[in-house]
Amino acid sequence: MRRLRAAQPILVLIVLAALLVGLTVIAREISARAGFLVERPIVLFVWLGGLVIASAVFAWVIRRSIRRVDSTSSGLLLVATALALASPLALMLLQHPAP
Amino acid sequence: MVMGWRRAVTGLLIVSGLLSLGYVAISSYIAEQLVYEAPKAIVKTPASQALRFANVTFPSRDDHINLKGWLIPGVLPDGRLTVDRVIVAVHGTRTNRESPGDHLLELTAALARNGFGVLSFDMRGMGESPPAPLSMGTLEQRDVLGAVDFLRHGTPPFPELGRPRIIGGLGISMGASTLLLAASREPAIAAVVSDSAYAEVVPLLEREVAKRTVAPIGRVPGVFAPAALVMARLLYGVDFFAARPVATVAGIAPRPLFLIHGTADDYVPIVNFRQLQAAASSAAGSRVTTWVVPNARHAQAFKKTGTEYVTRVVAFFDAALGAAA
Repeated sequence: MRRLRAAQPILVLIVLAALLVGLTVIAREISARAGFLVERPIVLFVWLGGLVIASAVFAWVIRRSIRRVDSTSSGLLLVATALALASPLALMLLQHPAP
Repeated sequence: MVMGWRRAVTGLLIVSGLLSLGYVAISSYIAEQLVYEAPKAIVKTPASQALRFANVTFPSRDDHINLKGWLIPGVLPDGRLTVDRVIVAVHGTRTNRESPGDHLLELTAALARNGFGVLSFDMRGMGESPPAPLSMGTLEQRDVLGAVDFLRHGTPPFPELGRPRIIGGLGISMGASTLLLAASREPAIAAVVSDSAYAEVVPLLEREVAKRTVAPIGRVPGVFAPAALVMARLLYGVDFFAARPVATVAGIAPRPLFLIHGTADDYVPIVNFRQLQAAASSAAGSRVTTWVVPNARHAQAFKKTGTEYVTRVVAFFDAALGAAA
């Protein structure tokens, strides 16, 4: 139980990311029937709005988790969470523009 | 000690969270810009070239988007009209079937005057065709395949001229790359002229992203490009990574392929031409003709060379498709 609680931030991060992607794909599939001019702003709105809400939820979970840090392993799990949170930045490494 | 830990971890979480959030949000916005541009209006029709034509509508293959186009019958030396040999003309990105930037209407008119029927159409999201995401060939190849289906099975707008005996394709810039993708899947396209095609689009888009400005950050650093391309796939289902004619062009053989490129092309560098040439020539039985046009900028070979361009393309199609009946 204690271990699960320590892993809570990284699990919440994964669930939020999956939810956000899933909701965006559903919004795209539904709005696509109304044409691309409708689909385009709806998808962006759902995605960016979802990002803001997910960030707020995650910040709340993290705040509680930081207060409960009482061992090295729970601290390391938070560090792992921070690295997972930064993982989109790794996409920068894929850049290979044309001359 | 624990307080120090907490501060350090909190700082790390805040920094990585803010950086990631900003990176993803800006990349999403760039992706949204990449997949859409307002269509450009068509000003001139083939009538401005003193040619007969019919407005046509046909569905794209697989996803059935209704595309708008013109069927222009070819004019034989004795003045009779013909659709015995029809060239599917494919315009470039962010333009339409008139495509004044690269004079596509004038080029198709020249082909018609040399006895080739021409089906010139607006790809999805451009000209008068319905709004759709721009995918730089990945989805648009279905439009070219729809054009071929229309010529083979659709209602002929000139019933008295019958159906085409043979079909060729001519594409410029993104239209050329789209045509290469389509022709590698569709054997009914008997010969292909590809002018200023890219071998793969992702390196070009990555460079283009770095030229964009987003308020309030101004010029977008190139590091946002890979994420923007991933976001385009996630948000709009547009897979720019699949727009790689270099991977499929060998499939056109043994059908004849004519590759044209300008040496002064700074949008699609000539290295793309070399890559396509090498890939196309690697196939058994390949018949690849090339023409490197000195000092021609992107998609400007026809504008620069005029009659010579038409003479070379007509000679290629005459050899590949046979004489008009």
